[in-house]
Amino acid sequence: MFTSSLRVPKQGNTLRECEDAARVLPASDPGTWLAEPVFAAVADGASESLLAGEWADLLAKTVIDAVRDDECVLQDVDRFATALISAGAAWGEWLADYVAEREANGRPIAWYEQPGLDRGPHATVLAARFETDSSQVTRWDVAALGDSCLFHTRDDRLLRAFPVESPEAFDNSPGLVNAFNRDHALLARHVRTVSGGAEQGDQFFLCTDALAEWFLRETARGGQPWHVLCEFTRSGDHDEFAAWLEKTRGEGLMRNDDVTVVHVDLG
Amino acid sequence: MTYAAEISRANPSCFVFLVDQSASMSDPIGGGARQRKADVVADAINRLLAELSVKCAKEEGVRDYFHIAVIGYGHTVGSAFTGPLAGRDLVPLSQVADKPARVEKRVKKVPDGAGGLVETTTRFPVWVDPVANGATPMCRALSRAEALVSDWVARHPDCFPPIVLNLTDGESTDGDPASAAWAVQTHVSADGAALLFNLHVSAANAVPVTFPDTDSALPDAYARTLFDMSSLLPPHMRFYAMQQGVMASDKTRGFVYNADITSLVQFLDIGTRATDLR
Repeated sequence: MFTSSLRVPKQGNTLRECEDAARVLPASDPGTWLAEPVFAAVADGASESLLAGEWADLLAKTVIDAVRDDECVLQDVDRFATALISAGAAWGEWLADYVAEREANGRPIAWYEQPGLDRGPHATVLAARFETDSSQVTRWDVAALGDSCLFHTRDDRLLRAFPVESPEAFDNSPGLVNAFNRDHALLARHVRTVSGGAEQGDQFFLCTDALAEWFLRETARGGQPWHVLCEFTRSGDHDEFAAWLEKTRGEGLMRNDDVTVVHVDLG
Repeated sequence: MTYAAEISRANPSCFVFLVDQSASMSDPIGGGARQRKADVVADAINRLLAELSVKCAKEEGVRDYFHIAVIGYGHTVGSAFTGPLAGRDLVPLSQVADKPARVEKRVKKVPDGAGGLVETTTRFPVWVDPVANGATPMCRALSRAEALVSDWVARHPDCFPPIVLNLTDGESTDGDPASAAWAVQTHVSADGAALLFNLHVSAANAVPVTFPDTDSALPDAYARTLFDMSSLLPPHMRFYAMQQGVMASDKTRGFVYNADITSLVQFLDIGTRATDLR
């Protein structure tokens, strides 16, 4: 399979300020065929959180590492919740280093940052695993908490939208993983998992919310947004994608938000 | 007129706080708390500015999603900032956050996790000190707010509409404030009309009221005048008010009587909310 990912900040922000994260293993360029299992994750830090982008990145990385170590993580809400709590533990260490570095650089934590740091950052997360067997059948597993989405398409059809199925279901209060949440049962209750099979030629898109909402709205209107996305993901052309996003936002067809897409192309 | 405009650094909105600093503000607030009205109002402003700064804080500093003016009215009408911002009117929020007059340490009680309370200290920035001196030129103060709002929407025609929050005991001495209040709300951006909200601090020993949809529970003519002057809450603010337990309807107004108004900050959307799972 081929993989590619694109990540563009909301209009008016720099890429450094983008609070979405994407991780794909093994790392490769869009033109490289991968025969081995592929692991992918996207995470979307909440705008109102401090260090939301850093948390989203750590969350995506920790979860994808957990999935690589144990493929059942994506089939079992309890194991996925355990991975989320592991990410939270890693956050504690990361934050201690961050605070120490700020002190060392003569820029200690300001009064207006402290409440946000005490509360901890929030993010959605969605992780997936794809493995193709010798008969060219691909098994996929996905787990998510929040409104980052996976879409499975075949030719001109959307076969599956997960975990959100309708553009009306998006709002600005999605389920979020807080870095200090150690309530395993609560996290597990909010995790959604699904598995399925796919054929050669099928496409998968992992998207953060604004793009996912646009994708579902376009589909509901009879469009095939996956073909639009493929134009950019196959080339990996970040600038073209950013220009298209600017135009689409300008036409009022997409909310102005950070955008991330990971495309897994079964060839 | 949707009150749905994105609030961003490229398309910021503004807050104008009007603070009653008249002599009557030295009277105690009702309800047996024995706190002076001037102290309550200064505390409310300082808390609102702190909450707003925290809400817009990112790791590189506070983002200028809002510009802030604090206008005092009493002996004079003018900027109520003390410290480095003294004399200024609309100030970018990042500068507000970076330049309080001082940061006090205050003791507060928090749950100790075992059913009890434990004392802890928090940093409490102060921009506005309590003042109680002179008459109550509320009409002039509202006209000053109107001028700031008018200029703001002319320069930011697509902004989320400016919000004017008047904190007072309601006893205007330069005339009926109704027409000046209405004038504030005639200034519109593409997203809607400017909003005027009121916090009434009163010496009357009456039950606190938060975001009512009728004036029937209000104890006096001052409160009813301020209620009538207040804008209706836009739909998304009603939604957030309801989340906080307010029985909001389409007649609910941005008016609070002898109660906390800090929740107003939670009515503002600057992106995905950091809400905990339940």
